[in-house]
Amino acid sequence: MSNNEFVNKGATKNSGEGRTLWEEIRRRFKKNKFAVVSMYFLIFLIALAIVTIVIDIVDNSNIYNNYVIKQNLKDKLREPEFGNPSMIFGCDEFGRSILFRMIWGTRYSLFIGLIAVTVSLITGGLIGSIAGYYGGKIDNTIMRFMDILLAIPYMLLAIAIVSALGPSLINLLISIAIPKIPSYARIVRASVMSIKDLEFIEAGKSAGASDIRTIFKYILPNAMAPVIVQATLGVADAIISISALSYLGLGVQPPLPEWGAMLSAAKTYIRDAWHITVIPGLGIMFTILALNIFGDGLRDALDPKLQH
Amino acid sequence: MKDLLLIKDLVIHFETDDGIVEAVNNITLGIKEGQTLGLVGETGAGKTTLAKGIMRLIHKPTGKIKDGEILYKDKDLLKLTEKEMREIRGKHISMIFQDPMTSLNPVMTVGEQIGEVIKAHNRISKKGIEKRTCEMLETVGIPSGRAIEYPHQFSGGMKQRVIIAIALACEPNLLIADEPTTALDVTIQAQVLEMMKSLKTEFNTSMLLITHDLGVVAQNCDFVAIIYAGEIVEYGELRDIFKNPKHPYTIGLFGSIPNLNDNVKRLKPIDGLMPDPMSLPKGCKFNDRCKFAMDICKEKNPEMVLLNNGHKVKCFLMQNNI
Repeated sequence: MSNNEFVNKGATKNSGEGRTLWEEIRRRFKKNKFAVVSMYFLIFLIALAIVTIVIDIVDNSNIYNNYVIKQNLKDKLREPEFGNPSMIFGCDEFGRSILFRMIWGTRYSLFIGLIAVTVSLITGGLIGSIAGYYGGKIDNTIMRFMDILLAIPYMLLAIAIVSALGPSLINLLISIAIPKIPSYARIVRASVMSIKDLEFIEAGKSAGASDIRTIFKYILPNAMAPVIVQATLGVADAIISISALSYLGLGVQPPLPEWGAMLSAAKTYIRDAWHITVIPGLGIMFTILALNIFGDGLRDALDPKLQH
Repeated sequence: MKDLLLIKDLVIHFETDDGIVEAVNNITLGIKEGQTLGLVGETGAGKTTLAKGIMRLIHKPTGKIKDGEILYKDKDLLKLTEKEMREIRGKHISMIFQDPMTSLNPVMTVGEQIGEVIKAHNRISKKGIEKRTCEMLETVGIPSGRAIEYPHQFSGGMKQRVIIAIALACEPNLLIADEPTTALDVTIQAQVLEMMKSLKTEFNTSMLLITHDLGVVAQNCDFVAIIYAGEIVEYGELRDIFKNPKHPYTIGLFGSIPNLNDNVKRLKPIDGLMPDPMSLPKGCKFNDRCKFAMDICKEKNPEMVLLNNGHKVKCFLMQNNI
């Protein structure tokens, strides 16, 4: 009896501050104000991209064709006007409103970045966890192949893939995703290796868990923290790569309003019209800054060693 | 009574780059139905390796079960496929690990972890799993409302209770408890042991209790096996071993714990250290620490000698007595 009383007392004391792991992480993330602001900025961008997609579907790409794509040469290189909302950033070399192009361009940078990272994360993660979990010959074979991929400069490999397959959105995605696979495989493999020898894995096996179950329910959820952080930072990286490829003329093709492509097209006019290079440049810069700060904040929130 | 688990001439080696670690050498050991066997030995004697060997969880590729049989209900576990072995683990034989702090998955709720074992071994509905999970938690003295909490919200003793709940969830026939109380403080130790004892009677489970604490053995075990350098040196009923230890090593172990009734100034620990399992001495493994070592001890490894009442000793001294 006295035994039970003790137990119950312990229980009420603990459940009073009962938080799940995610609540705990959210609480710690909120302490970092910059990270929260970045998160809202990113949510705003994603919302913007989704809204433009919805608008295009609803009005049959009317706004898209008339304001984002259609040339209007009498407004060529028009200076920013603060009184006029659609001209607040001015016009580009073909007289298209930069504001509209920026807004409609969000989807390319952001979504290609997100999808590319998701693809390379899933492939790399799978490869890495198999290598890390089984070890030995399997590990050696897989990782040496990854090393070969890793030895080729990232940009060069991406350029090679796009030039081989021809520039299109899907090929752009592939060329961004494939060179990133080895780095995710390495990170996942390292964290799987550090976790697979812990006692709770053995305890799980001694309760009859299969290999697949052990990997997906025991190892991967525990190995996720560094991977999530790497992925958020990876999105920023992917956006820069898209911009760089577009800048080289291998990425998103004109007249699609991708930010990097806008920047690349504007470089000829940089002496005459500052705004058409600066605005897309700032857009890319702020997005990547937000992604980096968000990633940092997430890492701090997920690191149990910083728990207070 | 019949042996539930019978280990015959088990040899487990770890083949590392530096040499072969002879962790378990020719162990023969039986556990009877419904009884508790205490396995006592120093750090590094091969206790945990033996336990993991029974579960077939020896670290690959270095660790290898070189020889022997592990008969569970007359079936050799070493001959089963990995899939058949998974059926055994958790349902027929389950294991409690030494450190409750690291034996639970930190990202799954306690309830999920108990439910998982039940789901893996029984075909029952989600509701049934939930009900059984709550029952198990209540059995080990944790309010079932706490099933939705994560391991980091539990104290060490409570975690060990959860682990016991997981181990007993499928009512296994054999429970291997690898130093279940070493990481806990003394008051919690007593609680956990008391609980394990009553649950063992409730579920009629046999138990292999691995420990280096002779006090724990005295309270919980029916039989005792003393392990030294990967060999069983003495085996017998609890009473025989405690009242009448025969092997010099067992005598040394008892000499190194304080006794309430005796008035001694100093304890008598056993001199020296366990031999390096990578280069075990020739002959009897204990010969260089043994006060009674004879010439023959350095030459030949003694055989098990059966004294009365199942009491077995691996020592040349006993052979001479017969």
